[in-house]
Amino acid sequence: MDNSLVAELYLSFAAIFHRPNQDVSNHLEELIDLWSDVIPEIESIQKLTAFCKQLPPGEERLNALWEHYIPLFETGMVEASPYASVYLGKEGLVLGKEASNVKRFYTKCGYVMGEKSGELPDHLAVELEFCALLAQNGQDDLLKDFSTKHLEPFLKCILPRIKTSGRPVYSEVAKILEVRLLNLQKEGDFVG
Amino acid sequence: MKRRNFLKGILYGTGATAALVGGFGTFSKHSPLKAGATRAEGEEATVFSACEMCRNQCPIAVKVKDGKVCKIEGHPDDTAFGGVICARGNAGPSLLYDPQRIKKPMIRTGERGEGKFKEVSWDEAYTYITDKLYNVKDQFGGEAIALASRKGPHDWFFRSIGRALGSPNVFSHEATCPMTRSVALDTTFGTEGIQADYANTKYLISIGRNWFEGIHVAQTRAVSKALSKGAKLVVLDPRFSITAAKGEWLPIKGTTDLAFVMAMANIMIEENLYDQDFITHYSEGFEKWAEEVKDKTPEWAEKETGISKDTIIRITREFAAAKPNAILDFGWRTAYTPNDYQLRRAILIVNMMIGNLEVPGGYYKTKPANFLKNFPDLAGNAEGLGGVAQPGFPTPIKGRIDGTGVKGTPGQIIPAYDGAVGKIIESILTEEPYPIRAWLVHRFNPYISLTDSPRVLEAFKKLDLLVTCDVYMTDTAYFSDVILPECTYLERYEPIFDMSGLTPKYVIRQPAVPLVYPDTKPYWQIYKELGERMGLGDYFGFEDMADFINQQLAPTRLTFEKMKEIGVWTPSGMKGFYIRENDSKASLDNVLSTPSKKIEIFSEHVEEATKQGVPNYFSHPQPEEGTFRFVQGKVAVHTNAGTANVPILNELMPTNTLWMNPVSCRKLDLKDGDDIVISAGNYEQKGKLKMTEGIRPDSVFCYHGFGRISPELKRAFGKGINGNNLISNEIGIVGNAVTSTTFVRVRKA
Ligand code: SF4
Repeated sequence: MDNSLVAELYLSFAAIFHRPNQDVSNHLEELIDLWSDVIPEIESIQKLTAFCKQLPPGEERLNALWEHYIPLFETGMVEASPYASVYLGKEGLVLGKEASNVKRFYTKCGYVMGEKSGELPDHLAVELEFCALLAQNGQDDLLKDFSTKHLEPFLKCILPRIKTSGRPVYSEVAKILEVRLLNLQKEGDFVG
Repeated sequence: MKRRNFLKGILYGTGATAALVGGFGTFSKHSPLKAGATRAEGEEATVFSACEMCRNQCPIAVKVKDGKVCKIEGHPDDTAFGGVICARGNAGPSLLYDPQRIKKPMIRTGERGEGKFKEVSWDEAYTYITDKLYNVKDQFGGEAIALASRKGPHDWFFRSIGRALGSPNVFSHEATCPMTRSVALDTTFGTEGIQADYANTKYLISIGRNWFEGIHVAQTRAVSKALSKGAKLVVLDPRFSITAAKGEWLPIKGTTDLAFVMAMANIMIEENLYDQDFITHYSEGFEKWAEEVKDKTPEWAEKETGISKDTIIRITREFAAAKPNAILDFGWRTAYTPNDYQLRRAILIVNMMIGNLEVPGGYYKTKPANFLKNFPDLAGNAEGLGGVAQPGFPTPIKGRIDGTGVKGTPGQIIPAYDGAVGKIIESILTEEPYPIRAWLVHRFNPYISLTDSPRVLEAFKKLDLLVTCDVYMTDTAYFSDVILPECTYLERYEPIFDMSGLTPKYVIRQPAVPLVYPDTKPYWQIYKELGERMGLGDYFGFEDMADFINQQLAPTRLTFEKMKEIGVWTPSGMKGFYIRENDSKASLDNVLSTPSKKIEIFSEHVEEATKQGVPNYFSHPQPEEGTFRFVQGKVAVHTNAGTANVPILNELMPTNTLWMNPVSCRKLDLKDGDDIVISAGNYEQKGKLKMTEGIRPDSVFCYHGFGRISPELKRAFGKGINGNNLISNEIGIVGNAVTSTTFVRVRKA
């Protein structure tokens, strides 16, 4: 798999796990296309397609994403807190050691989080977006290193939670991401 | 757009989404110049600030390591607080780093209470609120907009929005807590600025006040100090509180405290135990009080209160013997009965009968800089704070919904700054005297704090606009149209606050760390920006908080930098003083602000407002067999409606129970730990039973602040009993909530 496809894949997952926005919501079909290319057999693709059919691009679809994103990741219920520190630290709070660890990794690779990014460094979408950047730039060793040390331990904690939440779109994308992760591990090919 | 062009566009910056290095703009290339801005690894710092886990604002020293708050201690230089804080103060970091905080502004997308929201930009949130508020104002007038918050430094900013819109209906939460005490202080002394000198008292009587669970660090320490010096403590409370455990517990029948206090006065007059000189010199109306208590004998009080007459006589004699260094405490949450303000007035009067004003171990007037101006020797110690000028606010077209300020009615003595917040619910539902259509709520949770919670929900549903600004998705936020995420006290500057006691004192709140969630904001910025969006920018004449603080400090010799460095300021070398310490006849003209310049035992104002110029006794019903008086109280590890979801505090105490005496348990065939149903009229709450000798057999008790209905308060949701769900929305004579007159039944679930 060439680097640009790997980058697109990581970016597609980041797009979903970032806070919903009209642009991504309107292009959900395109993301589904990409996933069905890479993991064609999975049932989740049909469920996602059905969701898109039921809710065509537009405000209603975006609101439906918000309806599930907020209790899943954002406020209150937080069925699957999107911050790695919450799982990989002792206290279950944000901005723990893992947040500084990934931040240091970003700096080591030549990146910083923009001041206006409005997100914590160990947010699921941020880590996935970072992987997309490394893949895009052909920084394969760093990608492998980041994935092993940071992203995978995080995904092992968070994906089961997202899957069992049963939240439309998110639980299906979590399943796809999990299969993708398993495939990569089987192949021993962390960068696709 | 063709297949995957969207993603490619984002990756390579060719699509609609601008990208700095590809992606969603989260990352940019590392700039070595900016690297210096981050703290070096292992770097430690102490930031002096003020706690906000409750409203007491204790000065704190925040320990920061590697850019993270790792511990909070008391400010070491503040002698009143002694370098210590309470458990709630210690839990600050777990609130700061809680993944369940609100992170972005939200607008409701589903039905009210359905829990469906979308996140929006601050701009969208301000625009939405602006449009809705002006719609309400245009259709129903500015008075149809209500504002309510806990009292605090945010008031200046939050209230400016309502006042600038011409609304008279701006409320504090005080009616649910200490407002009857404020009414009593105002009408007796002409000022609310009176405090108790617990540390030096020799005899302390509490009427339900619970310093060891309703913690105010300085006051709790002062009471401990008095006890360690041998002071006697007597606690009247239907429940055996932690405070009662430290003294003599008198399990008084609920709502009969005034009988006890009037009998004390009766005994003191009969036995000539009171300070006649003080009464003659400083007060007026004593003879009317003497007449009123003439028949309030200990025998009579025994029947009312359930406390033996011998005990009442003994306690009164002991109290009088300790004069003037004794305190009959004026209370904190003072909302037991509809006429609670008369209990508080009677308490103050009995205190004055031992002449304990402006002496050590009694009551004293707080001594801020402006007070010192009256004493030429002391005036040089401090200058009062300045302020930011505001244009005049428009005069509201209609009077307030609660009648505050209306002469010849109880409204005459309701403090205008506070109002009767429970009336908002009545106005929304009954449209009397006119309807409230929009409600702005700042860090206040009416669902938990006001009585008759189901009625509160009904009211929410009738509103055109409900806006909540908070750190969590509270129960009220869950029913709101717009939710504004405030940052925590550990992330923001605030105006300097005046915390003067026996000496002037200024305290700063400043950020210990940058914003954890970058899209949260301090309240002053939120209301300034909202005000500007609404075209009300003239009311917010400051650039930022540094500018605001500089304007405050301009008349003083202090600077913003200095306050940041020291956290707390008091005049160096100045000792606290009591005006009558060395001269029992010293003038109290600077203390008393009543029309007569006397302590008004008989108050013309109160007479005009309620036809009870001196406190009269009113006997409240007692529970019949099979029913129980329902009482609530505070616990040391939570702050009322505010902290049930804070991670560490929730871990310490996730839920409450209903306390019941074993005698009553046996009658109802209930055991410790049973699942129970508590009912009052049509309302029911489920909970667990705690069987304990620490409650009168005719009463039941639970801690306040539990039974949360917002699923978004994940840790607290659905746990415990919400006492206010059982109490009807009775509003007391001076607008206070009424918390102790409800009877409940209890059965096995
Ligand atoms: S009493 Fe406790 S919670 Fe309240 S301000 Fe002080 S330390 Fe904070």
